[in-house]
Amino acid sequence: MAEKKDMVGYRQQPGKLPFTRPGSGGKNSFSEPRDESMIPASQGGEKNQPWGSHRHDELLSGRVIGKPTSLIDSKWKVTGQAHYGDDIRLPGELIGKIVRSPHHYAKVLSIDATKALELPGVIAISTGADASQKFGVLPVTKDEHAMAVETVRHVGDIVACVAAENEMTALEAVRLIDVEYEVLESIHDMKDGLKDSEKPIHDRGEYHIGEANIQKRVFQEFGDVNGIQDNAIASHKSNWYFGGVNHAATEPHAAVAHWDPSGRLTLYTPQQVPHYVHRALADVLEIPMHQINVHRTFVGGGFGGKSDPFPHEMCAAILARKSGRPVRITFDREEVYWLNRGRHPSHIEMNLHADSKGRLCGIETDALIDGGAFASFGHVTTYYNGVLHTAPYEIGAFHYTGARVWTNKPASGAMRGHGAVNSRCAVEVGIDDLSEQLSVDPITFRLANLLPPHSATITGFRVTSIGMRECLERVKEESGWDEKFRKMPLGRGIGIGCGFFISGSGLPIHWDPNKFPHATVHLKIDMDGGVTVHTGAADIGQGSDTVIAQSVAEVLGLPLDMIRVRSRDTDTSPVDLGSYSSRVTFMNANAAISAAMKIRQELIEATVKITEAPAKKLVIGDRRIFRKDDPAVGVSYLEALHKAQEERGALIASGAYRTPPMGRAHKGAAAGLAPAYSFSAYVAEVEVDPETGQTKVHKVWAAHDCGKALNPLAVKGQIIGSCHMGMGQVLSEEMRYGRDGHLMNPDLLDYKIPSIHEMPNVIPIIVESNDPEGPFGAKEAGEGPLLPILPAVCNAVYDAIGIRTHNLPITPDKMFKAIEKKCKLLGIDDPLNLPSPIIEHSELQSTLKARAKTHTQRDIDRRLNDDIEAYHNGALFGMDPTIPPDEVDEKWTVSVLPSKEYLSNPRLAGKAWLHTERRRRGD
Amino acid sequence: MTVVRLPMLPGAEKTPWAASVNGKDHSIPIESNAILLDVLRDQVGNLGVKRGCDLGTCGCCAVLIDGQPRLSCLTLAREVEKSEITTVEGLSDGHHLHPIQETFAEYGGSQCGFCTPGFLVVISALLEENPQPSDAEIKTAIEGNLCRCTGYQQIVDSVRAASEILVAGKVIQNSTDQKSDPHPGFGE
Repeated sequence: MAEKKDMVGYRQQPGKLPFTRPGSGGKNSFSEPRDESMIPASQGGEKNQPWGSHRHDELLSGRVIGKPTSLIDSKWKVTGQAHYGDDIRLPGELIGKIVRSPHHYAKVLSIDATKALELPGVIAISTGADASQKFGVLPVTKDEHAMAVETVRHVGDIVACVAAENEMTALEAVRLIDVEYEVLESIHDMKDGLKDSEKPIHDRGEYHIGEANIQKRVFQEFGDVNGIQDNAIASHKSNWYFGGVNHAATEPHAAVAHWDPSGRLTLYTPQQVPHYVHRALADVLEIPMHQINVHRTFVGGGFGGKSDPFPHEMCAAILARKSGRPVRITFDREEVYWLNRGRHPSHIEMNLHADSKGRLCGIETDALIDGGAFASFGHVTTYYNGVLHTAPYEIGAFHYTGARVWTNKPASGAMRGHGAVNSRCAVEVGIDDLSEQLSVDPITFRLANLLPPHSATITGFRVTSIGMRECLERVKEESGWDEKFRKMPLGRGIGIGCGFFISGSGLPIHWDPNKFPHATVHLKIDMDGGVTVHTGAADIGQGSDTVIAQSVAEVLGLPLDMIRVRSRDTDTSPVDLGSYSSRVTFMNANAAISAAMKIRQELIEATVKITEAPAKKLVIGDRRIFRKDDPAVGVSYLEALHKAQEERGALIASGAYRTPPMGRAHKGAAAGLAPAYSFSAYVAEVEVDPETGQTKVHKVWAAHDCGKALNPLAVKGQIIGSCHMGMGQVLSEEMRYGRDGHLMNPDLLDYKIPSIHEMPNVIPIIVESNDPEGPFGAKEAGEGPLLPILPAVCNAVYDAIGIRTHNLPITPDKMFKAIEKKCKLLGIDDPLNLPSPIIEHSELQSTLKARAKTHTQRDIDRRLNDDIEAYHNGALFGMDPTIPPDEVDEKWTVSVLPSKEYLSNPRLAGKAWLHTERRRRGD
Repeated sequence: MTVVRLPMLPGAEKTPWAASVNGKDHSIPIESNAILLDVLRDQVGNLGVKRGCDLGTCGCCAVLIDGQPRLSCLTLAREVEKSEITTVEGLSDGHHLHPIQETFAEYGGSQCGFCTPGFLVVISALLEENPQPSDAEIKTAIEGNLCRCTGYQQIVDSVRAASEILVAGKVIQNSTDQKSDPHPGFGE
């Protein structure tokens, strides 16, 4: 009897099995034992969980999650077989070229293409008359055309396009097209955008603000705004200018359009958000969405620069429709700069105030940002410049005025760290200055002012896991901060900067999050046992395909080579919002896990049928499902799968993710809402040559709280890559415009991105705060890591030479002038005799240290305890933490409209509020 | 403002061109002023050679001419007639990848992968000449290549690892190695 029982559930008895084995054989067929070091303690494994357990713990099979994993498509890339936009070559293709405006702002009076059309080899020419529908990435600000309709708005704006048999013929046709313009008065200085103009760059109808070029304006006041001045004992004020920067992805944009014989369009394009292109194409071509397939090719770097639907994509589709042949349009590097969508040039006024207890009693920000000729993501950017610095610090009052204006330049848009980078830099440098004024250590100051886990910010963002404290402590320890800060000789310095960023935007722009999910993932498993994953998440090199494959593999206990991710075609992928706002890992991995859980459940049920073991006792390991208490009893993955497939065929499952209800009700409350937030702290060590003004970053200690590193190799890559990009912005990159408004450096020679020689040694430090909502505890790691590098370098420059520059990039010439000025001021002849900043701690230092210590314990209690009370920003200022302060205190303002008093003396961007919307005139 | 554009037609006359690309002889008619990058991509079909800037600033288009790295966007095809040209497609030996290809994949030297072909051919030339380069030598070798994703650090890591493989003579994994068996646990 006992022997018979043994046969229930197949023991691992090589050669003694009572059946022929199904499926594939193989020599290395023994299942590996579960790697207990990767199984969390809550599941009886050996992995410590200092941040508590997670709802996905039971799904961990110890296979791939948390292990450095090379990207699943990396072999394609290293063999040259990864095909990017321009590598799509279809038989019979035509080459598309674009006629661009030579004027900043002009009326298009006529376009004469007669001569061009007579040229042999020219197949089709298209102008704005062929596509009158507007499009744009945000449904509220559709203001772009495929080609100019009446007006061109910047040099390089698209006027017409040509398809010809080869490139030279196409270029000749472009030359032969005569366009007659009436030049209009153009605007280049963003400050002029705030004034009334004769002919604003766009007309928003009744929503137009004054007669000015203001695309969006924001006003927000929260907290004890009127008490700031009374409470403050130290104040910082600075006026920043940030130059505009471009993504400079190595792959120039390209698009290939093909109408197949059945009349459907396939557009091949390196895109971060195929779904928006899908929608925009349907609008512009006036055909239903189901007649379009957007195929995402390999993407040669995105960083936000490939996340709008673009006019050249429309042009390719229109030319292909006209000519009846495939059309390929590829940009040269200069055209990439005409398209731009890079970081906004910005004027930011930053005011920070600290009170006698060393608390941040007020942040007042005013940000005027230069949107260029189109709206792009501008609505969001305008909000992000303010709302994304309401954490990680607890603040007494928050005042923000922001405005985005149109100018006759290539449009600015979303770029890595969207909207948060510049103002974050200003905040962090301000905190450094406040600490200096208070004679306290800037890290201690930060540690004593952090929001605790599971709290709400002053604007009502729900912040869950916070690893900020650990980030600060790790970089402090590893950089040897206490021995270096304010103690290094002239010309050497060290500085700190922090960051805070959204992990997935809480509001999908096209639909109601309460009705539709943010992300959907489909799985299909057939008899071969391989898992096909359908997702619309766009892998742009960050490794999203890999992380989704990892999530599925982990839950099903499979190796990565059994997972194939199909994420390219909108025909086969479920709708996904794409790769932006650092949402992919968070939302798509969550969706993938939920789909995989359904398959897992079916496999377990099948195993129960075979082994008669209770489902509760079964776990999944390496390609096996077995009894936890008797690992010898179990079945192989394939056996369980085939059992589950009986009478029904392939297993399929769909999983989705949607954000929980969040946020408050004021206007603009949704901007900046996210299901989780990432945190980071960097220390940079720099060298500034006092004689030449040359700045070099030597070393960066970069701690980032990504919740959990699902693929540490990719997370480290993101951290180091972010340092590269941020370093470029702070030291060398700027889109420079000449006096006549022309872009002077639209190439990679004059637009200087750091080469290997400028790159510092970056020590990536991963902090895992185990986010309750994230997949296996993960949050984002793609954009947040960029934020701290700018202020860390700026603060280090001050430590090195005692000069604060508020004009980025800090090029040697600017630094040289600043050094000269300082020498003159101090009456010093030789810059080598400049005094190096020093610090002598005041009494406040020990108060802050003590507070930081208490808060450390508070934070640990809050993160480990499931049953915790609410904590609203304001508790540090004596409010009841469990109630939103505006409900208890009358002085605690919540306002999104400026008062008359403010309007009598507005700051720079605040002046946007002096105008009245057309529809409100006469009110 | 007058915009002066040079006429693009008539194009240059055709001329025969012969070279060995990745060990295979090609003899094709090209335009006499054709850039090597265009010939390789459009006529020979080596789409692994990438066009990033057209100005010799990014290094994506690097190829080896008789073993020496050159920027194909700044090279006239006729300059390199009868030469041996190696592109990224020619680095592997069948399924056996070059060590630097293996380590690029393993150490995260490649993220979006667009600059990767340029880096790979330049590094393969470096390792050919000097299998144990110092960090300074690695940096000098790749100073002409721009990468926007990795921040170079993981590229340098990959070169170091590839150097170790070359020096130690470690056997390179064969990408045709047996894959996972979904039905484990029943060995012979």
